[in-house]
Amino acid sequence: MFTKILIANRGEIALRILRACRSLGVGAVVAYSEADRESLAAQLADEAICIGPADAKHSYLSAPAVISAAIVTGCDAIHPGYGFLSEDEGFADVVRAHDLAFIGPSAEVLERFASKEATRRILSAHGLTTIPGSTMLRDEDHALEEAERIGYPVLIKPSAGGGGKGMRLVRNARELESIFKVSRSEAKAGFGDDSLYLEKFLEENRHIEIQVAVDRFGNAIHLFERDCSVQRRHQKIIEETPSPALTDAARQDLAERALKAVSAAGYENLGTLEFLVDSKGDAYFIEINCRIQVEHPITELCTGIDLVALQIRIAAGEPLGITQADVVSNGHAIEFRILAEDPAKDFRPQSGQVGAYLAPGGPGVRMDSHLYPGYEIPSYYDSLLGKLCVWAPDRAQAIARGDAALRELLVDGVITNIELHRAILANQVFIDGKVTTSLLDRVGSAPFVAAGNR
Amino acid sequence: MPARVKSSTQGSESEDALQVQRDHEAIAGLADDLLPALIAKLAASGLGEIEVRQGGWKARLRMPAATDESSKSAAKPLEGHAGRGQVTGRGAAVVHARADGSERRSTPIERAVEEPGRIAAKSPAVGVYQPRKDLAVGMRVRSGERIGHVNVLGVNQDVVSPVDGVIGSSLAESGEAVEYGQELVRIDLPERQTGGDAGRVDNDPSVAGKA
Repeated sequence: MFTKILIANRGEIALRILRACRSLGVGAVVAYSEADRESLAAQLADEAICIGPADAKHSYLSAPAVISAAIVTGCDAIHPGYGFLSEDEGFADVVRAHDLAFIGPSAEVLERFASKEATRRILSAHGLTTIPGSTMLRDEDHALEEAERIGYPVLIKPSAGGGGKGMRLVRNARELESIFKVSRSEAKAGFGDDSLYLEKFLEENRHIEIQVAVDRFGNAIHLFERDCSVQRRHQKIIEETPSPALTDAARQDLAERALKAVSAAGYENLGTLEFLVDSKGDAYFIEINCRIQVEHPITELCTGIDLVALQIRIAAGEPLGITQADVVSNGHAIEFRILAEDPAKDFRPQSGQVGAYLAPGGPGVRMDSHLYPGYEIPSYYDSLLGKLCVWAPDRAQAIARGDAALRELLVDGVITNIELHRAILANQVFIDGKVTTSLLDRVGSAPFVAAGNR
Repeated sequence: MPARVKSSTQGSESEDALQVQRDHEAIAGLADDLLPALIAKLAASGLGEIEVRQGGWKARLRMPAATDESSKSAAKPLEGHAGRGQVTGRGAAVVHARADGSERRSTPIERAVEEPGRIAAKSPAVGVYQPRKDLAVGMRVRSGERIGHVNVLGVNQDVVSPVDGVIGSSLAESGEAVEYGQELVRIDLPERQTGGDAGRVDNDPSVAGKA
């Protein structure tokens, strides 16, 4: 096991990793930017080190700053969390070159799965169905040709993108012509890589992902699925497990196929395979996330397995220590992403000082958040304030606990999406388990909030 | 070093809205923190002009041959304003590990509370600090003059004096592991200009005075 881990991230995930380190008895150093000097992770840590200015480019995204901090504080491993440097194979490689361990897949594995297009090819060769898509687009003519072959509507996707960023929906050739160049330059600006590809757009789909864990010795387990169909502009806002859209047999089958394909492809460490599931129940593989996911706690609540601790143990070269038979998913869990966004003003991100803060409690309630009263939310980073997760023996009780917990949750001083969550919970489409990824965007959030207030 | 970044943090929204917000932040930051600190610095140091760049902003202050008295009174009303929000210390102790493995624990509150008028050269990065060989207390330095370096994975980054002044006490030892923004060497202002009521000076490493 490692002796000391540098936590190269911020917000709630820095805190989550710190907690995992403590429960494993491993030392931890929180690396923070100047804007996060007062962050809870930096305050709770036994050691904390300022690695740069507020601008993430020169702090959380700066490989030299992060690695130098790990070296001068005597760490032997770096946990990148999610986002920032977490899936950068170049960073993983440099970390290893400095005799430090990267907590995540090796650079080789990250590189193999870095391109979504290549990943789809690899995993379809290992038995997963993929959405009809194109190869990398050479130019506009090539794009038009491929779109014709796949059939409109199609999505233009940046190969290096993630979390739905930079994606564009195109319904016909004219739209494709007008948007192609813009997409290319956006991809270049956003990800430093202008490679684009097309994918068939499934109108009414659900987003379902399978959590897997593979150790260095080839032992592999899946930890069932998470349903992330409640989204706004391709950003997940509510996740739950099990998926209300899959029968027990279907979830078992999907999880087993995903695990088989990913371990045959030589994957290592924690990973999440994302699928779109259409109205007929067919699952199409879209991408693999080679990191801990924001929504990992709901899997932890149902399986009782600490995923961050497991991730650290795998990276340290330890065997899984459990088999598939040990992984049992119990009850139902739901996660609400609490965001500093104003639903009434096009979800504009909010910053400012948190006044009173009260986290909810009670049976089956878990709050992963870096908030505290008086905390100043910096404007430099994302708007995630925390994740409220609830567990109950079944879905109906989980929804009831979720609503009770959301009512208790108090975040003064900034506008949040707490009321939107309550409105979604009260909506019949959600109660029936029939939400598709485009629902919120199609109807807008206002009707949800209005209906919730009645 | 990695050439590209594949994903930023999840959940970030409309770039435009963020930009507008950052601009507002920057303006507020200028008004609340930078300008009063600059005025205080200008008053205390007797410099003719100070230019500051921060992000996409640039501010230049010029003082036409003012007497000591008038500059003091100009700085006074702003003192409290300049100090606001800067005294809050971190709750947790920060441990600075030295390259040789030993550790020095310092409470951030100690580090955050600065004496009035105190100016220090700060670390430009996280790494191992090495002062210039000939550095000695009492030595005169110019603004922007290199007084040492911080080694970041084999690459040296200059530590420079933020003002024209005199080298004071060392706040970090040679070979010590330092964090970004850490105060390394105290810079005293020449005798005649250091007034007792010069006000707090926030010398952020991105703020470099220029005569």
